[in-house]
Amino acid sequence: MIRVLAIFFMSCALFAASLPAGGLVTDLSNKRIEIRYSFEGAQLILFGAVGSSAVDPVNDAFDVVVVVRGPEAETVVRRKDNIGGIWVNNADLVFPAAPGYYAVAASRPLTEIAQPTVFASYGIGFDNLPLIARSNRGLLKPDPEFRTALYRLRAADNLYRQEVDSVSLVAEGLFRTDVHLPANVPVGEFIVETFVFQEGSLKARNRIRLNVGKEGFERAAYDFAHQSPFLYGLTAVLVALGAGWLAGVLGKK
Amino acid sequence: MPLYLPIAELSMDVFLVIGMGAIVGFLSGMFGVGGGFLMTPLLIFVGVPPAVAVATESNEITAASVSGALAHWRRQGIDVKMGSVLIVGGAVGSFFGAQVFTYLKSLGQVDLMISLAYVVFLGSVGGLMFWESMRAILRQRSGYIPPKISREDRHKTWVHALPFKMRFRKSKLYISALLPLFIGMLVGVLAAIMGVGGGFVMVPAMIYILGMPTNVVVGTSLFQIIFVTALTTIFHSVNTQTVDIFLAVLLLIGAVVGAQFGARVGFKLQGEHLRALLALMVLVVCAIMGLGLVLEPTELYSATDTIATGAGH
Repeated sequence: MIRVLAIFFMSCALFAASLPAGGLVTDLSNKRIEIRYSFEGAQLILFGAVGSSAVDPVNDAFDVVVVVRGPEAETVVRRKDNIGGIWVNNADLVFPAAPGYYAVAASRPLTEIAQPTVFASYGIGFDNLPLIARSNRGLLKPDPEFRTALYRLRAADNLYRQEVDSVSLVAEGLFRTDVHLPANVPVGEFIVETFVFQEGSLKARNRIRLNVGKEGFERAAYDFAHQSPFLYGLTAVLVALGAGWLAGVLGKK
Repeated sequence: MPLYLPIAELSMDVFLVIGMGAIVGFLSGMFGVGGGFLMTPLLIFVGVPPAVAVATESNEITAASVSGALAHWRRQGIDVKMGSVLIVGGAVGSFFGAQVFTYLKSLGQVDLMISLAYVVFLGSVGGLMFWESMRAILRQRSGYIPPKISREDRHKTWVHALPFKMRFRKSKLYISALLPLFIGMLVGVLAAIMGVGGGFVMVPAMIYILGMPTNVVVGTSLFQIIFVTALTTIFHSVNTQTVDIFLAVLLLIGAVVGAQFGARVGFKLQGEHLRALLALMVLVVCAIMGLGLVLEPTELYSATDTIATGAGH
């Protein structure tokens, strides 16, 4: 691993020397994550290099913000209320497109890097996610209570991460950060966006893609259950009948 | 050793799952019950989504009932005709139960329904069983022997007034087919919404309402449970894709081993004491489910993806 890193940084350094205009280059240690039977989450490393045309890394300080956004899905947030002595799901709010994963890593606390309006204009940070809610009356701005609840719930599952991970500036315009994907990460296409800030304003940005998919046996089982549910159910029953029969025969002995 | 369960969409420790199967299997072997009413709440407790817990447990009960029913089949302890009528009722009940389950799942109320069903059914069955077994224990201590009630007297008159009578040779009964149909139906509904086999309702109903001889009661109820839980598994697979075969098989492995040991311990205990212990256990599960409804949860909000995207929540 260390050797791989060393080789990577060497090639990055060479790369940085000959960067194109607005030069920002990033790469991930792995662009395709496979969820297999022993999947416990994944740790990725994002490497990047900033060229002199974007900022002058040697003379001027710069900041890096990395945003990883997972596939969007319709999500319902429900609130329990006490009705007649028991706690029942009562009020709910539908977010038609909430990202299943959202992580922001920065080289310094966001407030020190730039003004909140700057982050708002690029949609960086959970508060600036364009989350709208759907109700009977059409699309509307969500009740902040439900919005923060969504953030809190997903943050507790390690799916939303902000002010948790940091980007480390290595040297000579090179930087790296760790991307933590928990075991319950949603499958689909992820977008990894890197922003370079200097003196509070954006100097360069780029995006690369990352794919998370179920593979092999897990994928086959999931697809089978969802694409031919009747046959899956029948298989489950046959497996149970066979296993039960076997247990009965073995138990007799 | 963690294992990613592709349908439940979470990682669970293999030994934890097998261990849970073994503990529940031990208790079910000891008390001679299916154990679905213990396993489903336990799965929910360790973080399996309630819908997955219920549907997967149906699948496991099918397997557990096959091995039990085989033993009764060898002893000729199954009334196939009675079982078939119970199955027809169970199929109808399971179908409607699964429809209600799917509808409530879309409303976000399925967890509430599961908890309420547990509190109501376990509370009443556990309460009755506890009262009955304590009375038996107290009577035994004071030396009181209750007068024997013959099977014919137990048979209520309203039972005989019902139409569509059928002869069940093995059970030595000539009764209306509507009764077993209705009992089967109720058990089918419970199987679909609670992830249980329903033996805890069916066995007393067979003895006290139908008046079946005890030597065919357990076998026939297991026979019905195989088919009804198999149908329930298919209904849940089609409606909500919540059956996790891998989870079910792992639980079964533990349960098979646990049941062998449990049965040995069970033989050493007296019937009344066993029933009182079982009743206490049922009441404890009922109380835990009830507390979950009554106590203010630490997190009032919950988030669910409405379309399956592979997100694990």
